[in-house]
Amino acid sequence: MREKETTLYIGPQHPGITGNMMVRLKVTGDTIVKATTEVGYLHRAFEKLQEQRNWLQCFTLMCRFCVPEPDPAEESYARAVELLEGREVPERAKYIRVLVLELARLGAYMLWYGGQNGSLGLYTVGQWSVGDRNYILDLFEELTGGRVYHMYIWPGGVRRDLPKGFEEKVLRTMDYLENRLKDYDDLMFDNTIFQKRTQGIGIVSKEKAIEWGVVGPVLRGCGIKSDIRIDDPYEVYDRLDFEVPTQEGGDIWARALVRRQEVRQSIRIIRQVIEQMPSGEYYNRIPNPQKWALPKGDAYARTESVRGEVGMYIASDGGTKPRRTHFRGAAYVHGVTLLEKVLVGANISDVSPIMNSLGVCPPEIER
Amino acid sequence: MSFFDLKGTLKPLTALKQFGKEPHTITYPKVSKEAADRYRGFHYNDLDECIGCGNCSTICQNAAIDMIHLEGIEGGKGDSGLRPRVDHGRCCWCALCVEVCPTGSLSLTKDYLYVSEDPDSFLWTPGKDNPGGKEKISFFSTEETSLNVFQRVPMTEIEGTERIKSFAEVVLGYSEDEARAEASRCISCGLCTEVCPDHMHIPEYINAIANGNDADAVRIIYDNNPLPEMCGKVCTRRCEDVCAIATRGEAIAIRWLKRYATETAKTADIIHEIVNPEIKEANGKTVGIIGAGPSGLTAAYYLALRGYGVTIYEASAKAGGATMYGIPKYRLPLESLQKQVDYIQSIGVKIHFNTKVGKDITFKEIYDHYDAVFMGVGFPDAWSLGVDGENAKGSMQAYRYLYMINSGEKVDVGDKVIVVGGGNVAIDAARVSRRMNAEVTILYRRRVEDMPADWEEIEGAEAEGVHIIPQAIPIKVIEDEKGNVKAVEYLMAEMVPDERGGRPKPVAIEGSNTIIEATAVMAAIGQMGDYSFMSEFEDKIKINRGRFVTNDKQQTTDPKVFAGGDAVNSTADAISAIADGFRACKAIDEMLSKK
Amino acid sequence: MKELKEQLINRIKAHFPDITVENNFNYNRFDVSINKESIHSILFYLKDVMGFKHLSDTNCVDWLEEGEFEIVFIVWSPAEKIKIFVRTRIDRNNPVLETLDMIWPQLHTYEREFREMFGIQFTGLEAPDEFILEDWQGPPPYRRDFDTAAFAAETFFERPGREDAEDVREAITKLTGEEIPEFAKKYSR
Repeated sequence: MREKETTLYIGPQHPGITGNMMVRLKVTGDTIVKATTEVGYLHRAFEKLQEQRNWLQCFTLMCRFCVPEPDPAEESYARAVELLEGREVPERAKYIRVLVLELARLGAYMLWYGGQNGSLGLYTVGQWSVGDRNYILDLFEELTGGRVYHMYIWPGGVRRDLPKGFEEKVLRTMDYLENRLKDYDDLMFDNTIFQKRTQGIGIVSKEKAIEWGVVGPVLRGCGIKSDIRIDDPYEVYDRLDFEVPTQEGGDIWARALVRRQEVRQSIRIIRQVIEQMPSGEYYNRIPNPQKWALPKGDAYARTESVRGEVGMYIASDGGTKPRRTHFRGAAYVHGVTLLEKVLVGANISDVSPIMNSLGVCPPEIER
Repeated sequence: MSFFDLKGTLKPLTALKQFGKEPHTITYPKVSKEAADRYRGFHYNDLDECIGCGNCSTICQNAAIDMIHLEGIEGGKGDSGLRPRVDHGRCCWCALCVEVCPTGSLSLTKDYLYVSEDPDSFLWTPGKDNPGGKEKISFFSTEETSLNVFQRVPMTEIEGTERIKSFAEVVLGYSEDEARAEASRCISCGLCTEVCPDHMHIPEYINAIANGNDADAVRIIYDNNPLPEMCGKVCTRRCEDVCAIATRGEAIAIRWLKRYATETAKTADIIHEIVNPEIKEANGKTVGIIGAGPSGLTAAYYLALRGYGVTIYEASAKAGGATMYGIPKYRLPLESLQKQVDYIQSIGVKIHFNTKVGKDITFKEIYDHYDAVFMGVGFPDAWSLGVDGENAKGSMQAYRYLYMINSGEKVDVGDKVIVVGGGNVAIDAARVSRRMNAEVTILYRRRVEDMPADWEEIEGAEAEGVHIIPQAIPIKVIEDEKGNVKAVEYLMAEMVPDERGGRPKPVAIEGSNTIIEATAVMAAIGQMGDYSFMSEFEDKIKINRGRFVTNDKQQTTDPKVFAGGDAVNSTADAISAIADGFRACKAIDEMLSKK
Repeated sequence: MKELKEQLINRIKAHFPDITVENNFNYNRFDVSINKESIHSILFYLKDVMGFKHLSDTNCVDWLEEGEFEIVFIVWSPAEKIKIFVRTRIDRNNPVLETLDMIWPQLHTYEREFREMFGIQFTGLEAPDEFILEDWQGPPPYRRDFDTAAFAAETFFERPGREDAEDVREAITKLTGEEIPEFAKKYSR
């Protein structure tokens, strides 16, 4: 009997999808023949909005590109503005920025633990990890005044200095998290179900990965050692000692292992940052924001997020508002051209695990 | 891997060890977590500290902040009377409003829980609707964290010891870069325009300078002030007292910025070219103006632009009034004033110099000849000290002294000058005397901080070596045998608080008599008018307490006659005179165009 | 790094003599401008010959006053650790470019977005007309001459209850009778 081709829609409202987007599937049986990404559910025209805002006002929009890990976008924007203007950033601010970025990375990985396991029906890990993420959010609340939207890294440095006793609190939280990692290993990586559902599934080929624009843990899961923190170092990453883990295979399992190791590396980086934290200024003051004009020209700054390259392009015509800004998220590539390729041949039930492992974040696609 | 992977099946069961543990995220019974010390929750606004500048509303990218009138808040004198109301349904808690608030009155609190079925109830006024917020302030701005630039770009001046060698201008003015930097500190609230007697368009011209468009700045300035370079150098600048930035920092240097803009036009011709004034066709009506001081020149300029035939009668040889003869040339160089007068004449204003009304021409002739008359006659006479020996040789009025020096006459003051008074005239006379190589001492009844003179002038005088003795009341001028001033005797005073709540009063301390040597004594304790030129009009044009009685349109009790300047207002500064002239021009135009 | 950049620029110049280079950045970047006819060949050359394998980002900037769109490709060489901004300008009134998605597949997405948001036509681009917008009839919304604020004001209504808001500057002029001349108003806040 010849199987009939059916069209199936996953999303935009679906617990297994990573945000408001839809994947239209052509399936025969439960094998996917063709997948098409459909977006348009949360377009907010951020880039156009920024053209009506001054250079400072734009900064508050940055955290809204990706809720789980908002800081890399803030960092990219701040650094793009600094590159264009030639504004110096104090040493202490650089270290604080790295601290914030790595904390955000940990928070996002905790959320990913939940998402990746949730997509496989393993809910316990998610309940634990989201609870553990709360400890990181507590730190953010104390440092920035906001739990999820930090609005903390801005052009010229950071918004406020570290509160008193903050370093010790961070170290305590790091110790706690490190002890917890074994529990995650037991529940997740040593779990047969997890292994069976991830190994050999959602393979991205090593040969095509770079050309296809694959970045971040997905690229490292293909065995390619690529990390912006090392390749195109920013802030003080070139002064810190950490490893860039890679895995062969290019499947969900490999990507999960990369992330598993990166959590440990982030903890390592945070401890070094706290140890090396210099004293001094944390902010190189900008002029009156109403009249703050940037020189004509453009700049592009990129930051390594949990999903990979998160970049901000800004073009100035010499005025107090951007001529054009463009946000480049990893999901712009992973969520459309890559996802459409990887899903072909996969099982319907693997759509959600694959999306989670590729780090598809719909607000990065349509912004 | 076989299905019965023992390790992979058993390991997940270790989760069971959590079974008996206490939950670590929520405690029972549930206690609401207190927000962090920096939490960005609902707004709180200290309504008394807030000045209603609206900078919060400007920075808010979500258009969540409205400026509204609140009952019981009137405004005035550096307060717009408006207060921010926040639509918390639109707010994104970025707290930029807090960062740009110049006073620091706006802050965020630890309150973050608010549940309501009514979406309109999220619209409320911080401070008024949550008075308890004051106790929960968490995210606020300090002078260090604020995004306002509180430091002024310093002005370059000639050094004190160097400048007493000549009458060269002391203040050197901003360079282009300095002016742009200083102008860019302005937050464009416009509170300054309210206290400016002339209501100049200050935020607009400062913004034009910040944008690099000096020509537009000049055009905006000339819209209601024809002597702006003079104001840019010597204005009493009440605008800077109420500057929003001055609440926690140094006021925008509004005066120096005006000076910078107007000095970009180097000659009268260039002013003409930039301003490119639109002069209406002659309408056949004429206005006679008495006195070419700031008020007379202003009325003349704007009346001439409106097509009136304008003639000014000036008793002295030069135009400018008190700004010509009262202000020393190191503050306002002759060429600068001359340039502005030339420009005013270039648009068709006629000035008859050395023509004293009452002597060379009668007031009645002018009254009968013109369709309207404007009097900007100023205060030509000065008060005398009223102590024994004040008629000695070498005892004089500071105002007369400045007049003579500015007319180019030689005045011998010897090497020890005593100036009595604490206003700008006293400081001017003192600093001029320093330039005549005299040692100068100022005697002032009250404390230095009570001096009505501009603080920058007082500092300038001190830098030039002027000695100030505060709380000193002169009681006698001592003559030598030739009738020349030899010394001044004065009493020290103590400050007694005023029971009615006024400023403290100096009361002489008996027996504290001190004698100080002197070769000249100058009284700078006030001026008064001379209205003898219009004695035949005494009944028609009323004078009260030494000043003309006018309505709010500068009209005297004779409908055809208008007046302005020192002879009308009590603020005794050029910008008030200019404002009077501008107001009178509008009223005269209104009156004559109706006929 | 300076020498490396010079070297790379010389290599590119040998093949593409009519490029304009900007190299006054004090970090690992230089810019190359080229006419739109050569954009395919230079991108292919950079990617396949010179090792600029990674396409970091692509942008379109609307220079309304100059009547041109500027397309910027940011390419990165993992080996040399250098990024190049490759720029080309196209006529705003006739914005046509041949599709480039055979060089990097992800350009397909960029092109769909530029077509929708800026109205740039990519000949050879095979994709459904709609990408992000749905049933959009108006002009391409990311063009500078499309006023989103005005569009929002026309399309949506303001929540009532905020009509009593006042402009600070206006409130002060009302109080004092100051008349701001028309030409100066653009400088008001």
